[in-house]
Amino acid sequence: MLNVNELEIRHKKYKRKLYTPYFKISMLIVAVVALISVFYYNYYSGIKPEVNKQAVKQPLIVEKNEVKPLKIKTEENNTTDKKINSEVVIAQKGEQKIEPKEESTIKQKRVILSPSLDFMHNIKSENLAYYRDEKSSEPKKRQKKELVKKKHKVVKKIEKRKKAAITADKKSSINIQRKDDEKDIKDVIKRFKTNHNPALSLFVAKKYYKLGVYDKAYNYALLTNEINNNIEASWIIFSQSLVKMNKKDKAIKTLKEYIAYSNSSRAKQLLDEILSGKFK
Amino acid sequence: MKPSIYEDSRDVFLDTVNAKDYVQLDRVSNIYQSLKDSIAKPLKMVLLYGKPGTGKSMFLSKLYQTLLSSQKVCLYKTPILDESEFFKTLAQDLYSMTYSGELNFTQFMKIVENQNINEDVMPLIMLDEAQLYSSSLMEKIRLLSDTRKVKFLIALHKTEKEDLIAKEHFQTRIWESIRLENASAYELKIYIQKKLMKANCIDTASMFSQKSITLIHKLTDGNYRDTNKLIYTLFDIYVYYINNKPNKIKGNEISPSIIEMSAIHTGLINA
Repeated sequence: MLNVNELEIRHKKYKRKLYTPYFKISMLIVAVVALISVFYYNYYSGIKPEVNKQAVKQPLIVEKNEVKPLKIKTEENNTTDKKINSEVVIAQKGEQKIEPKEESTIKQKRVILSPSLDFMHNIKSENLAYYRDEKSSEPKKRQKKELVKKKHKVVKKIEKRKKAAITADKKSSINIQRKDDEKDIKDVIKRFKTNHNPALSLFVAKKYYKLGVYDKAYNYALLTNEINNNIEASWIIFSQSLVKMNKKDKAIKTLKEYIAYSNSSRAKQLLDEILSGKFK
Repeated sequence: MKPSIYEDSRDVFLDTVNAKDYVQLDRVSNIYQSLKDSIAKPLKMVLLYGKPGTGKSMFLSKLYQTLLSSQKVCLYKTPILDESEFFKTLAQDLYSMTYSGELNFTQFMKIVENQNINEDVMPLIMLDEAQLYSSSLMEKIRLLSDTRKVKFLIALHKTEKEDLIAKEHFQTRIWESIRLENASAYELKIYIQKKLMKANCIDTASMFSQKSITLIHKLTDGNYRDTNKLIYTLFDIYVYYINNKPNKIKGNEISPSIIEMSAIHTGLINA
C-alpha cells in the first residue's frame, strides 16, 4: 500500500530543495539590484547636496574672507598689546627714547585695529546673523560706534600703561643694566675659560672697555692677542685701554709695532688720534 | 469521477509483457514491419537491441503472436543458461523430441542437420535477454544458425558489453539489426492515451494534457517501462485521494504535484 502522507512530506522537501537555488539566486539578484540602486541613489543624491553645499559655502567663503583680515587685525591687536607690554618693560629699564616711537606705532596700529576681541565674541555668538545684518546700514553704524568706543578704551589703557612705565623708569637706575652686563660678562668669561675662544675674550674686553673697567679690558685684549695676534679689534681695545689707564706711550708703541706688522688703517687712525690728543 | 475509473486506469499500466497490450505507434509500427520483413528474409540471425524498457520484449511477444499462425516459432523470454537444458528444450519445441538424459551440442547439431526443412519456412527461435547467455553458448548458437536449418532472433540490451557480443560473435552472420529507442513526448502521449482508451478509460486519458505529458517525458526520458511504473503509481495516488482526501483532486488535468510524487515513489526523482 502506498504511503501517500509520507510521499507528500517527501514531495514538499523536494520542492523546497528544488526552489532553494532559485530563491538564493533571486535573493542575490535582489541584493545586487538593491546595492546598485543604493549606490546610484547615493551617487546622484551625493552630487546634489554637494552643489547645494557649494551654493551655501560660497557666501560663507566670502564671509570668511571678510572675517580673516578681522582675525588678523585682532591678532595684530594682541601682538601690539604684547609689543606694548614688552616695550613698557624695556622702558622700565630706562630706554625713554623709544616712547615716542611706540606712540606713533600704536597710533598706526590703532588705525588698523578695526574689530576688537569683543567683535570676535559677537561673531561667535551671532554667527551668520551678523553677516546677514551687516547688509543693513544701521547695525554697521552701531558697530562702528562701538568700535570707536573700544578703540578709545584701548588707547586710554595703553597710555595709562605707558605713564606707569615712565614713572617706573624714573625710579629705576643704571645699576640694573650694569649688573646684567656684568652677569653677561661672567657667563662669557666662563665660556671663554672652557674653550679659549679669542672671540669671547675680545667680547669681554670690549664690554669691560664700555663699562670703563679698563684694566680688565686691557687684560682680556692681551689674552686675545696671545691666542690670536692677528685680530685688529683686539689690538685697538688693548691700545685704547692703555691710553685710558694713562699709559699713552705704551699704547703708541704698541700701535706702531702693530702697524708695522699689519699695516692696519684703523690702528693708524687711532695712533693719529692719540698723537693729536683727540683720543684721551 | 468514480474510484473504479482510477483503479482501472492504474491496472492498465501494470508492468507486464502481454501482446494484447501492444500499442501501435507510427515509429514502432515501422520498426515492427521492418522486423517482420527481416524475419521473412533468408537471414541466419536478426538482432533486436535497445535500452531496457524500450519495448523489446513486447516486440518479441507481439511478433511471436503474429508469426505463430504462419510458421514454427519459439520464444524464450527468460534465458536457459544450462547448455544441455537449452538444447533439449530446442529439440522438444522444434522437433518434438524428448530427451531424458543429457543432450550435448554435437548430438543436437546432428539432430538439426538431419532435418529436411524448407528455407522459406525455417523455424524461428526468439531469445530474449540474450545478453545473459554465455559466450560459449552464443558461439554454439552461431554455429547452429550456420546450418540454415534454424533462424534466430536475438534481443539484447544496448550496452558496451552487448555491443561486443554483437560484433564479435555475430558480425558476419547478422544480416539485420534493429534498434529500439525511447519514445518522444508526442509518442508517449499517444502511448498513454491509446493504452487508457483500449481499457475504456477515456476520462482519465483526457486528463493528460501536453504539460503533464512533457513533465512525464522529462522524468522518464520516454522509457516505456518507467512510464508504466510512473503512471501506475500516479493512479494509485489518485485512488488514495479519491477515497481519503477528495479535495486534493482539483481540475480535470493530472496534477504535476502528483506526477512528481509518483516520480519520487518510483525513484525517478531523488528526494
